[in-house]
Parts: sequence; C-alpha cells; structure tokens
Amino acid sequence: MRRDDAIFTRGRTLVYRAGVRRSGPEFGPRRSRLHGVPSALLAAALCASPSLAAAQTEPTVDPKPATSEGAPPPADAPPAPPPAPEAGKQADPPATNDGAAAQKREGAGDVKPAEPKAEAPKAAEAPKAAEPPPPESGFFLGSYGRVGAATDFRKRPGRDADLVARGSRLDESPYFELDVQRQDYWKATGTTTRAVITLGTSAPLFHYNADFTIRMAVRNLFLQANNIVTKGLSAWVGSRMYRGDDAYLIDYWPLDNLNTMGGGLRYDFANGRTFIAWHAGLNQPRTGFFSQTVARTPALNQVGAANVNILDRQKFITSLKASHVVKVGETAGVKAVLYGELHDIPSGQRETEVKGAFETLPADFGYVVGAQFGAFTGRDASHVNLFIRYAGGAAAYGEFGTPFQLAPDRTSAGARELWITLSGNWETGPLGLMAAGYFRSFRDASEGLDYNDVDEGIIMARPHFFLTEWGGIATEISYQAQQRGVRYQPPTPPGQPIPAPTNDPVMGGLFRIGFVPFLNPAGKGSYSRPQLRLIYLLTHRDEGARSMYPKDDVFSLREWEHFFGVGVEWWFNAQTTYGG
Amino acid sequence: MNRARSSAAILGLVVSGFGSTGCMEFEDPPEVELKTNVVDWREEIIYQVLIDRFADGDWGNNFSVYPSAPGKWHGGDWKGLEQRLDYLDELGVTTLWISPVVKNVYTDAGFDAYHGYWAQDLTQPAPQFGDLAALQSLVKAAHGRNIKVILDIVTNHMGQLFFYDINGNGQADDPLNQSVPGTPNVFKENEYDPTYDVRGVQAETSLGESGLAPIIFAHDPASNHMPPFPEILQNPLAYNRKGRTYNFDDPDQLVRGDFPGGLKDVNTELCPIRDAMVDAYTRWIELTDIDGFRIDTVKHVENGFWRHFTQKVRQRLAAKGKTNFFMFGEAFDGRDQLVGSFTKNGNDAPPPADELATDNQCVTDGVPLTADMLDSVFYFPQQFQVIRDVFRYRGPTSNIQKLWADRAVNYGVTPAQGGAVNASGQGVSPQKLLVNFLDNHDVPRFLFTGAGMYPEDPIFGTPLSLETRRKMLHNALLFLFTEEGIPCVYYGTEQDFQGGNDPGNREDLWTSGYDMAAPTFQWIRRLSEIRRKYPALSKGDLQILWASDRTGPSDPDANVFAFERTGGDAGDSYSIVVINANIEKEGSPEFGGQPMQVGAAPGTVLVDVLNEGGQTYPVTNDGRLSIKLPPSSGAVLVPESQR
Repeated sequence: MRRDDAIFTRGRTLVYRAGVRRSGPEFGPRRSRLHGVPSALLAAALCASPSLAAAQTEPTVDPKPATSEGAPPPADAPPAPPPAPEAGKQADPPATNDGAAAQKREGAGDVKPAEPKAEAPKAAEAPKAAEPPPPESGFFLGSYGRVGAATDFRKRPGRDADLVARGSRLDESPYFELDVQRQDYWKATGTTTRAVITLGTSAPLFHYNADFTIRMAVRNLFLQANNIVTKGLSAWVGSRMYRGDDAYLIDYWPLDNLNTMGGGLRYDFANGRTFIAWHAGLNQPRTGFFSQTVARTPALNQVGAANVNILDRQKFITSLKASHVVKVGETAGVKAVLYGELHDIPSGQRETEVKGAFETLPADFGYVVGAQFGAFTGRDASHVNLFIRYAGGAAAYGEFGTPFQLAPDRTSAGARELWITLSGNWETGPLGLMAAGYFRSFRDASEGLDYNDVDEGIIMARPHFFLTEWGGIATEISYQAQQRGVRYQPPTPPGQPIPAPTNDPVMGGLFRIGFVPFLNPAGKGSYSRPQLRLIYLLTHRDEGARSMYPKDDVFSLREWEHFFGVGVEWWFNAQTTYGG
Repeated sequence: MNRARSSAAILGLVVSGFGSTGCMEFEDPPEVELKTNVVDWREEIIYQVLIDRFADGDWGNNFSVYPSAPGKWHGGDWKGLEQRLDYLDELGVTTLWISPVVKNVYTDAGFDAYHGYWAQDLTQPAPQFGDLAALQSLVKAAHGRNIKVILDIVTNHMGQLFFYDINGNGQADDPLNQSVPGTPNVFKENEYDPTYDVRGVQAETSLGESGLAPIIFAHDPASNHMPPFPEILQNPLAYNRKGRTYNFDDPDQLVRGDFPGGLKDVNTELCPIRDAMVDAYTRWIELTDIDGFRIDTVKHVENGFWRHFTQKVRQRLAAKGKTNFFMFGEAFDGRDQLVGSFTKNGNDAPPPADELATDNQCVTDGVPLTADMLDSVFYFPQQFQVIRDVFRYRGPTSNIQKLWADRAVNYGVTPAQGGAVNASGQGVSPQKLLVNFLDNHDVPRFLFTGAGMYPEDPIFGTPLSLETRRKMLHNALLFLFTEEGIPCVYYGTEQDFQGGNDPGNREDLWTSGYDMAAPTFQWIRRLSEIRRKYPALSKGDLQILWASDRTGPSDPDANVFAFERTGGDAGDSYSIVVINANIEKEGSPEFGGQPMQVGAAPGTVLVDVLNEGGQTYPVTNDGRLSIKLPPSSGAVLVPESQR
C-alpha cells in the first residue's frame, strides 16, 4: 500500500485508503436506508475532502466550535445580505419595531436596520441624494430571544439531537439578549457615537426549575464612533462580539465570529458598497493553557495564602476584512468578501505537578484565511452565500478555544480546520425556502487520528408555505453525518464473540424531518419575527450515531427520536454586533 | 516667581501629607549588638512562657484564633509579653524562657501550632507572635530590666511537612490499608505518620515491598504545610525517613525515628545539616541578643550533633562578643544517667576517639571538637522522683538524697569550655546548673487533681482542698528556689493554675487578671527576694542535713528534709532550709531525741527569713539545731549577722 493512498492513519498504521471514493456502501453497516441519498452525498463530500486526503493527526477541537449560546444572538437574524455601509447604517437611529415600519420592509418584522434587501441600495444611493438628517440621539433598546418548551413524547424533556457542531435551531435551548444603546450625534464634529451594552443569558429559566439565580454574560460593552476624523471612518473600543454574515438555519457565523476585548477601525468608501475593517483584540480563555494560579505563602511572612499567577498569557487576535458589492440591476447585487485573522499566543511557563518545578510553554501562532461570495435580489430576503474558511495552527481551535492534542513541540502547529458553508433563502409569493449546509474537517496538532479529529457536515432545508399574511406551515428536512478518528466497534449481543473493530473510522448519520406551523404577527417572510411555533421533529439516528453516545444515554439506545413543543423567536433592533 | 511659589506650596502639601500619616520607620532599628548579659546563671530565676497563652498585645496578628479550644491559637504574642514585663518584674523573675519563635505549620489535624514545636521555616518568625521587630523589642525591653531571655529551639525534628508515599499514588492516604504478609488481614497505616521501619519506610504494593517510599512535601500555604527552610531541609536526605517511633528503648528508633505525631526526624548526622542548624539558630541570637537556648528533645539526637552544635554556637557567638551563653536541654525521661549524659563535658565521659574523629569530619573552621556538650539539662529525674514522689505523693525525703547522691557522676563536674561561667569567669559545672522545675507544658500542673492523679486524699480518695494543695505547692516552690541549680517556674503557677495534661496545662494567663495579690504570686515574689538576697541560696555548695525514710504518723521527721548551703561562689553566705512535706502533722529534723547536726558554728543564732515573725534558732554547743515546723511548711534560716 502506498502511503499517499492513505487518508486516515493511526500512528503509522494505515487504515483507510483514500484511493477508494467512499460512497454509500462504505457506510452500509451503520446506515439506515432512510439516509441513503443524503448520506451518500455527504459521504462523497467527506471523502473527497482535501484534508481527509492527508494523513492525519490527532485533534481536539471541541467539535462544536461556536455553541449556540456562544455566538448566536442578535445576529440570529436573517442571513446577512450585502450590508449597507456600517457607518451610515449606524448613524441612523435604530429602527423601530412598530408594525407599520415592518410592513414597509420586505423583511416584515425583521427590524435589522442593515437588512440588505431594501437597505443596501438605499444606502448606496443615499450620499448622492439630499443630505440626510442627523442621526437621532437617545437611548435605544433591542433584544434577541428564543424560548421553547418541548417533550420527547416519553415525558422527558425535548433535547437537542444534533450530532454535528451546528445543527437545527428548532431544538435549541432558550437564549436571551438585551441590547441597551446610547446614541449621540455630535454637531461639533459630525460624529455619531454609540455605546452598546448587551447582556445575554441562557437556559435554564426560573419557570422551569424555580432557581432564582441567573448567569449572565456581558456580550458587548463598547463604544463606536462613526464618521470620526473623516467621513466613512469609524472606530470602536471595548469588549465586543465581532461578526459578519451568518447562516441562519444552522445558527452560525461561518467566516468571522470573534469575541475579544480591543478595538478596530473601518472605512467605508464613498461608493457605499466597499469597506475594509481591521480589528485587534485580546482574550484569555479560562484554561490552564493560558493561565495558572497557584497558592503561595504571602510575602513578608504574613499568614494565609496568596494567589500568584504563574502563567498569565493572552491570545492576541487581529483580523482584516475587505468587502465589495457589485450592483446588478436596480436592487440586486453580488457580494465578495476576503477575510483573514492572525492569532498569537506568547510563550509562558507553568508549575508542574512537582511543586517548585516549572515548564516552559512555547509561543503559539495561528491564522485564518477565508472568503465569502454571495448574491441577493434586494427586493426581498432572497440571497445565497458561500463561505470558505481555512484555519491553521492555534486559530483552528477557535478564538475562544484552547489548543489541545498538541504537536510534539507542544504547539498547535499542524492543527487545521476547513469550513465550507452554503446558506441561502428564496421567497416567492406564498412560498419560501431557506437552506443551509456545511462541511467541516478538523485535525488537531497531534500526529495520528483520534476521537477529536472530525469530519462532519449537514444539509438542511426549511420550506415555508405562508397560508396568510399572519402565518403558515414550515417543514425542516436535514441530514447530518459525522466521522471521528476512532475505529468503529460493532455492538455485540451478550454471549456472542466480540468482533474486531472495523478498519473504518466511526461514522454516524442522523436524518430529521419536522413540521412547524407558525404565526408571524409582523407579517409573512422567512425572516419575519417574532414567530410563534408549534414544533414537531422526528429524528432517525443510525447505529453509528448511537455509538457516539455513552452507555445508558438514551441517545445511545434510541433509533427514533421525537421532539414536540412550542417555541418563539424574536429580534428587535438587535444587530449591534456586526463590525465587519 | 509664581511657578516657584506654586512648587513650594505643592511641596508643602506633600510634606504635610506625609506628616499626617507618619513616616514608615521602626522605633527600634534592627541592629543588635551582642553582649553578655548574665553574670552567673545560678542567680537567675527562669520563668517559662508559652507565648500564645501569656498575653495578647497585638490583635493585628490574631489569625484563626479560637480561645475556647485548648488546642487552637489563642492570640498571645511577644508584644503582649513585653507589655507585661512589670508583672514579671514584680514576681521576681530574672530570665524568660519563651516558646519557639520560628514559623510553624500553622495547623494540623485540627490542632494548631500555638506551642511552636512544629517548625517549618527556621529562618522566619512565627507571624502569629509578631515580627522580628516585635521580638527584638521584647528582648531589648527585657534586657532593660535586667531580665534575660532564653529561646526554645528544636533541632531533632521539623513539623509534619511531608508524607511517605507508601503506595505510590502521589497522595496522602489516611488510612492506608496494608496487607499482613501471609494472612488475609489488613492493618491501617497513615502515610503522614507510618510505623518505624529500621530500613526506612518501605513503599508497598499488593505484591509486596518495593524499596524506600518516596516522600512528598505538602503545599498548602493556608495551613503553612510548605516545604521547609533553610532549603537544605527540602532535600529528602535531610531526614531519616524511618517512620514513627514506637519503642523509645530502641536506640535507633529513639534517635532516628519520627517523633509521634508525624514530626519528621532530621538526619542530624549529616555535616551540612549540623552546620545548617548552627547557622539557623545562631542567627536568631545575632538578630536579637537572646541569652540562651532551651533545646527540645535532646535525647532523640545523637551526642555527636550536640558536640558540634553547642561548641560551634559558643564559638560563633563568642567571636561576636557574647559569652556565658547558656544551653540546656530537655530529655523527657526519669533516668538520671540518660538525662545527665548530655552534660558530660571534658573528661567526665569522653567519647571514643573514633567517634570524636568522625564528628570532627564535619568541622570546617579548623577548630576541632572536644567532648563538650550542653551546659545543663532540664532536671526531669528530679521532677519525677522528688517533686512528684515526695512533694505530691508524700514519699520519703530520702528519695532526694538518693537522687542527688549521683548528681556529680551523672551530670558531670566539668564545665563546658566557653560555656556558662561564674562572676569570675570560671566555668560552672553542669551538676550545679541543673534547671529545676515543678511542672511545665508537658506534664500536669502541680495543683492538678484529675482522675488518677495525686495529690488526693489517701483514705477517702477525694481531692485535697485547694488550700492544702496550695500549701504543698508553696513547699515545693520553697524547695525549688533554695536547692542547687536554677529554678524555673512555669507560667500560671503564680496564679494557682491547675490544668492537667497537654493541652489542659496551657491555660490563658489573662483569665487570671494578672493578679499580683494572688497568694502564690506573693509567695514566689518572696522566694525570689530571699534567693537574690542570700547568695548561699543560689551559689553556695549544698550539704544535706536531714533526709528520712520515715513517713509514718508517729515519726517526728516524717517527710522532713533539710539542707544547708554555703561556700562555693557564695563566700561566707550561709543558709539552712528545712521543709516539712507532711500535710497532716508537725515535723522536725530529729529522730530518737537527736536534732540535726548543722555546719554553723555553735552558738550561732539563725533567724527564719521566710516566715512572718523572724523566729530565731540558736545552734547548740554540740552543733545541733532544733526546729519544729507545722504541716506543709518550711523555713529558711540564715545567721542573724547576715540577715
């Protein structure tokens, strides 16, 4: 066997030939017939992946990079279309959420001021029109929220059944954000400043468990000045979620999704369709990779114990983004984004388990390169976006991630992650179709394959049929699969000889179909919010998927899963996170 | 000009700001000049202070104080002791023996190191007692009153700083189940305090032993279970690592076993350890000008160490101007020969030549070691055989005579070179320097009446009244203050404290209100005055005049004891001490109609300087003296001409 034929290795043992395109039959033993077509498609994608074609090393990534709580909220809004120039957008007072205003916009109920649909063209044309009135000064509130209650038909709680990192939103647990903004227009300079405070919290909620305590995060605390120094230039400093466009259905920001404390600059060109944005920030995840606090005897012979930070290093992240929209016709356009990040972690030292003995942690480095290509109609929320993102080194573990399963030199060199995401929405008459899918391949920095080396993906569609202006019915159909770098051990009935593990990495698949009658008080539209839902999801989990859960977890036992409940989702003026 | 005025104003504000908060400087600069503060240690009256229990002078160092629990910190400190020097001055005390000053493991197994015997850092002061400045201030204040200070030190062991990782799992297992080879049985072991093993504590798995168990130092700053200092004590080789001593009659266990309670035995046979101990403890003297060492657990350390330690300490201090530095050891043992073995100086009992040669291999300064060791020891055999058996149990006074008969042989007649001296600079032999005591922090107080303890009524088995016991105590104190040697009073004795065994005998002195009118306080004050006034009682040679085997109710001399002191370094000073230790009847040093023969010339009129009235007693022409004493009483007679 030629070594370059191998796509998975365990140490030096080749266990998988890349020369054979893995189609359906390769997953046969663990595949339900229900999964045949989608799994074949996904498997083909997995096996064709360039990252799979290389011998792997052990990963570690938390297979769920950005959790729903970690990244979702404000932008949980529609798939960001080509945004209006941020500076101009933010100079406007936050949009109101009165019904009339919503009606005026095709995104009915979606009050994101930056909605591409109608806003983009306007923004582009605005500078040439009459001078707009100065932005309104004052306090503004915004919110994103989703709440649901569900059961599994067995009187147990409905539970998020996704196997992959980013799955359906419908079974996500409650999450809530409150945006408080203060906007001021300063006549002396023509600058508009906006201070943003965003508080976020998540389940469990008081009415579920009677627990009066709450854990709340400050998701934003920054001030941005627009049109500062020169028109089109904006600057911000503070603690900030920093994001671009999302893929709504899978609750994910495929290109850029940063959480740092720092600052940034953005310049919007006069054409209103081009901008560049730069940001630099710091964070320090709460793990022993970044900090180590030990107890020491206090100085000067004082009694008690004092905490000393032996290891105290931060991750420095800087990003650069360039975006350009090409107009097509009156309202439509094509959008292209180039994106890059650099991650730098300085060296440090920490105390080993042998007290008084120290070890050095080498400096680490990472990078991200990515691009986005999109198109939108501008008349409604119809659009499509393709995201490609490749992260190497420390960046492969995410901006809040801690490198693990390191290379022999104890750096994350060699770790890598590829995301290819497709997201879109199409609306016509009483019909709407939202769709999303991604393929992800992650390898950690250690040599050989292990559990944390992951290939996964999902394809998902949510057709809407608007029965009237105020509601309709939607379905959601998806298939997701995941492959991990460990060999599959077939289950063995009691008393039977235990077979050898297979030569294949374990792979599980999950098919789901859902029926979601909904009400849209703000009018019809795929992104119209608020939206009240009755949700039923039926999930089929194949044998491989069940094998990924620990013994006695019901998910390791059940082939079929039900999720039945109610849910609501809203967003009002909640779009303050976008920086690029 | 304006700018200059502004600057001046700002400067003025800054200066006044500093002035309003006070400048950061200590009242007593730390420079200490070493001096010899003692003329003759026999003139001293030692008062043993358990710092944590004497006086709380600084609430700022009260960390985790629980006064209601006898085994916890109570808050006493050096500042408190300094503030109460008036009290001690009034009592007549001339030397303070203070409990250890070095930093300890703060707490272990629910008990605190308020006593100071669980050392962790020999280079730092225990913060619960104050800082170095407070200790220096205490010593300086004491010296200002001509009160000397003796420091309690421990060289045998450190606190419970590490555990033996017997099963190799890296954690301290308590208890650890260990199998009994060849049986299905298991026994419980404690990795902090495992049983002695002559080979060293062995690592053990279910398959059997696997060599010496590694030791692992604890790291808990909050309880100060931290690696020890000086750093050489962080080396596993610095310890014998043989586990807990269970048989003190086994010489190897005695010297190389851990002290029960997990106190880790230091390998004092190593030359670097010997030097480290000299450095660590001499430094405290250099920092404070303290005048002597009381050394803990001396019988658990080999003689070679004592030769090295005592001689190098003396030489180092003498080179810096401090001589007559007094070192006495504690061997908690009733065996007179054993206790005396640590004061055999010169040729009293020289070690074998090869042993001394081995000891000299540790000498690096070119001054070879001799046979000399300690100046003195705590006279534990007397505490057992006299204080307990005669004064508390009312045994025959011939016990005293028997014990003292071997004093010269057992404790030696040769002074340590460079050791304790008299006013003329001549060495004082150990047998004359023994530190006498009635009780201390390791034994029940004299007045204790707990179950199974004397004194109690021999017929009805009920405790004797406090009044009776106090009389007995006063008699014992009379003996303590007039016998040969140095009296040592345990704090609280003057307030009639009655605590039992540790920690019951470690009461808070502040509960007494520091009552200087208390009867025993006044009694000690009187004894101190008498001892200081009549040199014979401190420096005179001692001759027993009367001792008796008789204790019966019809025996006139039952429990009577008498001795005279004169000569020696006391010159012509002369005194006779007569004690009736019987609590029920009068007593007289006479038998068969013959009173005791005394050394005073016939016709000498002796006067009782102890009791009210100053009763006189003439010496008969045949040199005898008749005196009758009430129950539990005594007399100190001096020639009327010396009164």
